[in-house]
Formats: sequence, C-alpha cells, structure tokens
Amino acid sequence: MVRVKLENVCKKFGNVVAADNVCLDIFEGEFFTILGPSGCGKTTTLRIIAGLERVDSGKVLFDDVDVTNIPPYLRNTGMVFQNYALWPHMTVFDNVAFGLKIRKVSRDEIRRRVKEVLELVKLSGLENRYPHQLSGGQQQRVALARALVIEPKVLLLDEPLSNLDAKLRVEMRSELKSLQRKLKITTIYVTHDQDEALTLSDRVAIMNNGRILQVSTPIDIYNKPRDLFVASFIGKCTILTGVVQNRSDGYLEVKCDDMTLWGVPAYEDLNITVGSRVACILRPENFKLEVSASDNVFDGYVKHVSFYGSRNEVKVAVRSSELIISFDSSVNIDVNKPIKIAIPRDKVIILPYHAT
Amino acid sequence: MPAPLVDENSLIFCFSTNYFVVRMDGLWRKHIDLFLLISHVIPLIFFAFLFIFPLSLLLSSSFLYYGKPSLYWFSSIFSDTYFVNFNPRTGYLFDVYGDTMYIWGLDYGIILNTLIVALTTMILSTVMGLISAFILARYDFPGKNLFRVLLYTPMLATPFVNAYVLGKLFHPTSGLINYIFYDLLHILPYRIDLNGLVGISIAQSLSYFPIVYLNFQASLLNIDPSLEEQAENLGAKGFSLFRRVTFPLALPGLTAGMIITFIFSMEDLSAPIGFIGYSGNPLAKKVMSYYIFQSFSEAMRGVITPETSALSVILLSISIIGFILIKRYVSLKTYASLSRGGRWNPRVRRISGFKLLIVYVFLVVLVLVGSMPQVGTVILASTDWVLGGVTPKSFSLEYFYRLLHPSVSRAISNSVIYSSIAVLIAVLIGASSAYCVARFKGFLASILDILSTIPIAIPGIVLAVGYFMFFTSFFRWTLLDPLIDPAPLLILAYSFRRLPFAARSIFAGLQQVHVSLEEAAMNLGANRFQTLFRIVLPLILMNIFGGAILTFVYCMSESSTSVTLGALRWDRGPITFYINQVVYGSIVVGAASVGAALCVLLMTIQILAIIISNYVLKQRFAIYGF
Ligand SMILES: Nc1ncnc2c1ncn2[C@@H]1O[C@H](COP(=O)(O)OP(=O)(O)OP(=O)(O)O)[C@@H](O)[C@H]1O
Ligand SMILES: [Mg+2]
Repeated sequence: MVRVKLENVCKKFGNVVAADNVCLDIFEGEFFTILGPSGCGKTTTLRIIAGLERVDSGKVLFDDVDVTNIPPYLRNTGMVFQNYALWPHMTVFDNVAFGLKIRKVSRDEIRRRVKEVLELVKLSGLENRYPHQLSGGQQQRVALARALVIEPKVLLLDEPLSNLDAKLRVEMRSELKSLQRKLKITTIYVTHDQDEALTLSDRVAIMNNGRILQVSTPIDIYNKPRDLFVASFIGKCTILTGVVQNRSDGYLEVKCDDMTLWGVPAYEDLNITVGSRVACILRPENFKLEVSASDNVFDGYVKHVSFYGSRNEVKVAVRSSELIISFDSSVNIDVNKPIKIAIPRDKVIILPYHAT
Repeated sequence: MPAPLVDENSLIFCFSTNYFVVRMDGLWRKHIDLFLLISHVIPLIFFAFLFIFPLSLLLSSSFLYYGKPSLYWFSSIFSDTYFVNFNPRTGYLFDVYGDTMYIWGLDYGIILNTLIVALTTMILSTVMGLISAFILARYDFPGKNLFRVLLYTPMLATPFVNAYVLGKLFHPTSGLINYIFYDLLHILPYRIDLNGLVGISIAQSLSYFPIVYLNFQASLLNIDPSLEEQAENLGAKGFSLFRRVTFPLALPGLTAGMIITFIFSMEDLSAPIGFIGYSGNPLAKKVMSYYIFQSFSEAMRGVITPETSALSVILLSISIIGFILIKRYVSLKTYASLSRGGRWNPRVRRISGFKLLIVYVFLVVLVLVGSMPQVGTVILASTDWVLGGVTPKSFSLEYFYRLLHPSVSRAISNSVIYSSIAVLIAVLIGASSAYCVARFKGFLASILDILSTIPIAIPGIVLAVGYFMFFTSFFRWTLLDPLIDPAPLLILAYSFRRLPFAARSIFAGLQQVHVSLEEAAMNLGANRFQTLFRIVLPLILMNIFGGAILTFVYCMSESSTSVTLGALRWDRGPITFYINQVVYGSIVVGAASVGAALCVLLMTIQILAIIISNYVLKQRFAIYGF
C-alpha cells in the first residue's frame, strides 16, 4: 500500500495537452476516482502512474520516492486495462500466474495464490479456460485477478466496467467496492460514468482538457462544486448567470436578467464580491412546491413533464428562463398550467462565471 | 512478498535490468532503453553495410574521373550510340525473309532498349493481370477455383530455363509453335522467329503478370462492398461503376504491381541469358542488366570499370524512382491492413452464356500461354526434348539422376545452406525492424520502414557490383572478401534482398497483437525482453514461420547475386549459378535439361511452401503482394 503523488505532471501529444500541470495526492488505501469526459486525459494520467507513458515534466512519487524515471516493470502497480488485455494464448491460470512467474515465486506458492485470488473474484473452476471462452464479466475478473495476485502497491483501473452490460456493470461495481474494502489497497479508478464515480469512491478528481478541476468527496463534488464545469458535468442542474447585487449574512443577492435570487457562494475563497459575474447552480431535486419565508420563489408554467419511474422531470418556464425540476412521481403536475415553486437560499450554489 | 521495487537504490537496480536514465543539466532528459537501442541499431548496422555503404561507394566511383568529381562517365554513356541510339539501324521487327518473319525488336541502344522492354513488359503484364484479377474477383462461374490455382503456375520459379524454353518453342524451323501453326494447321502465313528484345519482353510478361494480378486482386478484395453499393444506390452501374468507383479504389494496388513489374523487368537477367543461351541472339544481349553482368564477369579478378558503375547507377536511379512512387501508395504500415484481404463479402456475380464463354476462352489461353515456361521446363527435364526434336521422343529420368552428380548436388546443398542461414538473418533483422516500425514509431523507425522495404526495388545486379567493390576494397582478406570465399557475402546478399518478405509477414502479425497485451506484461513486472519472449513471440509465431518459408523459397531462386558473386568460386556456386552455367555455357550436349531438372526441384519446393503456408500455417502466401 502506498501513497501516490503527482507533482505538476505535464504531458503533450503533439499539440494535444493530455495532462496539464496535474497535481494529485492519493492516500494510502484510498479508493480514488478520476472522472471526466472522453479524451480529457484520464487514461494518460493512469498510464503515467503505471510508467507506461513518460512525462514531459513533473514528478510521480510513490511514498515520497521519485519513480518518474522508473520503468513500468519495476513499479509494482497492478493495472486493469480498458480492453482487459488478456493474453489469448494463455489459460486463465497462466494469465493470472504470469506476474508471479516473472517474480520467480515457487510453483506451489503460485498455485496456492492463484487459487486464492480466483476464489476472491469468484472464478474458481475456470483455470483451464482460454480468454475467448469467457464472458465479458468473467474476462474482467480475470484481468482484476491478474493485477491483484502480485499484491501491487497501487491498483489502477481504466474504465474496467465500460465493456459490460448495464446490469452486470452495477453488480460488478459493488463487488469491486467490497473487494477493495477487504484488501485495503490504494486504488485509482478511471471512468467517465459519474454514477460509478460517486458510488464507489472515497474521493473523486474531476478532469477536463488535461486539467484537474476539483478533488473532493463525492458529496462535496455534487453539492459544492468549485467550478462551473464540475457543476454541469455532475448531475443535472439549471445554470442562471448574473451579477452580484448585494451581500448579507453570507448570502448573496444575484440579479439574473429579469429575476433576482439569493444563494450561497460554494467556497469563501472564491472571492465573490458585489459586482462579480456569477453563475447560480440550481439542482432539480432542491425545488419544492411549499413556499417558506426565506426561499426564492418563482411563478412559471409547466412546459413539459417526463416520467422517469420514481420521479418526474419537469421543465418550468419562468419569464425568459427555463428551470429543470424533479419531483416524486406521486406528485401530480399538469402540463401547460401555472405553477409556483421555491428553492431555499442554502441550496442555490454560486460560482464565479467566466465567459468562455 | 513479491518483488518490491522502488527504493533509493532503484536507479542502480535499473542499470542491471537494461534500463537507465541519462540526465544532462535538465535540458535533455531521455531514457535509453537497451531493448530500444538494440532493436534499432542492429538493423541499422545491417542496412548500413549491405545497402548504404556499398551503394554509396558505387555512386561515388561513377562520379569520379581519374580521382576528380566529374560527369564524364555519364556523358560518355549518353553520347555513345551503343547505349542510346534514336536511329536504330539493326534489329528486326516484323521483317520477313523467305518464309520467316523475324520479331526481335529494334536496337535503340541498351539504355533505351531496357526502358522499352520494361515498358512493354509492364503494359502486357498489366493487361493480362488486370483482366484476370477482375474476372476472378467479381464473377462466379464453375471451375473458378481451378483457374485460381492454375494462375499460380506462371509464378513458379524457372530461372534462365524459362526463356530457353520459349526460344525453343518459337524456333523458326524446329519450334513446336511454328510446327503446329505453320506446318500443321497453316494458320500462320510465315514461320515466326520470336527472339531478342521482344522475346525477353514476352518471357518477362509471362512470369510477371501474376504480380499485377495479385496486387490488383488484393486491392479489389479490400474494397468495402458498401462503397460500391452506395455508388449503385446513387445510380452508377456496370462499367461506369467500375470506372468511377471500383477502379480508383483499387488503383494503389495496381500501380504498385505495375511499377514492381517495371523494376523487375529492368533488372532481370534470366530472360536475356536464357535467349542467349539458346540461340546466341545478339539483340538479347542489348539490355543493361546483361551488359553489367558481362562486364562483371570480365572484371571478376580485376576491378569494376567506372563505366559499369555509371550504368549501374542509372539502373539504380530508375528503380529508386519507381520505389518512391510505390512508397507514396503503399508502405510496410499499410501493407498489413491490406493483407487482411477478403474480410468483406466480396461482391460476386454469376455469369453464363456468351459472357461465360469469353471468360473461359480468355482464362484457358492465359493459363496455357502463361504456364508455357513451366510446362516446357518439366518436359525438358523429363524427356529427350533438349536434343533438338520438335516434340520429345522419349521419356527419361536421366537428368534427374544427374542431380546426384557431385557438382550438381554441391550446388543444391550450397543453396540450401545459404538460404537457411539467410532466412535466420532476415527473420532477425526483419523482426527488429518490423517491431520498431509497429511499436516505436519514431524517426529512426520510419527510416527502418523504408530500408526494410527497399530491397525489393534494388536491382540484384547493381547490388552485386556494389558489394564486389565495397567488400573487396574495405574487407580485403577477411571473411567477407568475396574473392576468397563468396559464401558469407552471398548469404548476406540473400538476407538483404529477401528481407521484405520476412519483415512484412512479421509486421502483419504485430499489427494483430494489441499493444496493451505487451503493456499488461510490463505492468506485471516483465521487462521488454521477457515481454518479447513470453507474449509477443508466441503470438506471432505463425507469421514468423510464414515469413521464413517465403524468404527461404525466394532465397533458393535468387539469381542476380548468385550468378555474379557466386561465380567467384566454382565450388561455392548455388543452384541458380549452376542453371545459369548450363543454360548459358551449354558445355555438354543436353546440359540444359539438368538446369531444367533443377528448376523442377525449385518449383517443387515452392509448391510445398505454398501448401504449408496456406493449409498448415493458415497464412496468405504473399508472393510479391505489395
Ligand atoms: N499515444 C497518443 N498519441 C497521440 N495522442 C494521444 C495519445 N494518447 C492519448 N492522446 C490524446 O490525448 C488526449 C487524452 O487522451 P486519454 O486517452 O488520456 O483520454 P481519456 O480521458 O482516457 O479518454 P476516454 O474516456 O475516451 O478513454 C486525447 O485527446 C487523445 O487523443
Ligand atoms: Mg481512456
């Protein structure tokens, strides 16, 4: 188990900046996720940690030892590749035993440890199958077992669930989590699926265009985004932009075009003052129908209702804006009728707005 | 606990596992990886000594006149009517004397002759190859697979004997063709004497049209049918569909095949020597390859004249231009994706009636004419045909028995030994280059990509001249001095000339192995060498074997360096040198039949190789599939 640190890591491919001054500090035994849209540099970051990609500048540290120039085969990381990269000419047993054979572990020990790890990932009995004789989920577990059996210092997972169907993905997700809890191994997980990131991780890093935008717990990522991209990338929200008019008791009054609302700055150190251009983040589930004194209140009419099983998603037109609101589906909402909705001041998150 | 690695001593540890870091004032920080180094440097050294240095020496000697840089040799060549002559005075083209029509070609001087022959060969091969490839790729009819197999026949190697057989068939008085069409059937108004430059071109077209055929067919099979369907959907049909969509898509393959044919024709020694051996025809001597060959033979114990160097440089330049043109279309990189031919369901149409008849007539004539040299070789080897009759009189195994004669069997064992060692070298160098091209993709890798495909375009005769000059001057009295023993140099020459076959097979294999399979191994602790031996090699084993077989076959039938360097010591001559001697020198009556028997041996090896590749290794037997 090891603490992994990236200090000012940069990596370019031609003109594409895949890692732009990336700084990360991943604690021992932590389940850490890098989340971001496709092509943002997640895989590159992971490969830099594994040593498969060399950095242009910056450092990679394992427990404060600089490993930047150490080749991959000396880093002792266990990586699960997005396509699993199982060797087609080897059986499940040989695939899993490979890392141990390279380390010249004795034959009996190899047999014992492969057996153990295959039990752990629930694959006992499939030792003599070849990869092409396995289902996608089984292949994924072989890849995991192959990485785990060498007792790596860090487990690196590159979208390991993205090739599985929706149901299996959810199943494997919880198996993965309980496995990690059991082994307490430092795990870095790369995904572009926010549900995966939020449910699995101790902490999440949000990445875009090669830059790390925010590193926080899943709850903070969702409720207290530091950045407009983070806010819009995670979950649904309505974003209203405007200028700060007033400040009282830590609340800010923002004038957005033809309406005014109150909210709280996400972080005090964001330096939002009267006159700043800001964006107000409104999460759909924070709206209510009952109005209390300090709430922001909107009069609008219902444009559209979509049914999502337990919840309804409602689009409400308020003057020139449109709000996305989510209600329990037991609440009856009629389309094209006027509606009065409210959102508490505490739930309106205010971020600096930089026009792009 | 498994191997623990990273600690304060890790850099020292890294040294011992072939990996180290070079730091220079923070300005230049690069890792040097021993594997990376070896896999680039070894092929580069190989190419430096077997390609760059010898040909540079050749080049510089052609630009020197008594020690001073000069264009003297070139200007003297171009102003000599022996080399360039726009007003031919000698030669016969459809000239009739008595009852015989002489078709030899006109003598425009050996440089223009060579170009005219190469152009004619290219055009004839293209017509034959284009039509046959199109028919077989797009139409379905009974017996199609039989024709497919039969069209392999013209590709079987019959060095020197092929033209000898053609000379014999077209002999004005004792040739079988004239006997049938003039004496028996009275179809021809004259006896035809097909010889000289025209003969050379015909002989070459018959052996090279399959190159065009294979390349064009491969590109046709690679056209995504949906592209054609899309075009049909938009209203293109029949010939217009072919002209506007299919043809342009298959053009790169066709062009590559055509250029290769042109280059091969220019460097070919087999047809001129075959015709000269049969009839001593003076026009058959008037091509560049033969001229260089002859001056090489004369210079064997002395020095190569600057004039010969200059002529070699001219031949080389034309070939290199051709190669550059091919490179624009096809490289080692794209080859691999091309070779996955037949992935799509090719669009085939059934034909019947009149169309079918035309197709049959065309294919039957093509197969009959195309396999004349091969069939003739077999007849020559197994009957008394060589003794002069129009048709063979009796069957005889005598010439096959003569293969056991010590001088012949020595040639055979020489060839086998040279080829086997050459295969090992070619596979090693080819694999390193292919690996660099497939995986490292740097500047050096792109140079290796060029170097490992270029041998196919370097005329063997030019190479022989360059090697002779280079290794007798810089490696005098060493193992590589051909004047002491040409065997080591011949082995290296074989491995260089046939390297593209090994490199391409292995490259195609590497393309199928996803890089992540190697990365996964390295991630789990395997260094590059362990990764190579445990992951990469097992996965591309079939491609390596396929490439090795192909290389072996083409080493066995290599002629240009064999008949030049191989002639430097009689006991070191390989099979093709022996064939050349008996066909060209014709010391003993009937000796050409021993040459034919050797050709039968070569053809048998080739057929076995095709069968093993296709059915055991399940690899496509890429002949000159560029
Ligand atoms: N070997 C390479 N050569 C050139 N460009 C590369 C290379 N690898 C990655 N890139 C580029 O770097 C950027 C980041 O790539 P990376 O694979 O890290 O993205 P990612 O976040 O993992 O995306 P995805 O979710 O699609 O896997 C992309 O724009 C990609 O095109
Ligand atoms: Mg990725």
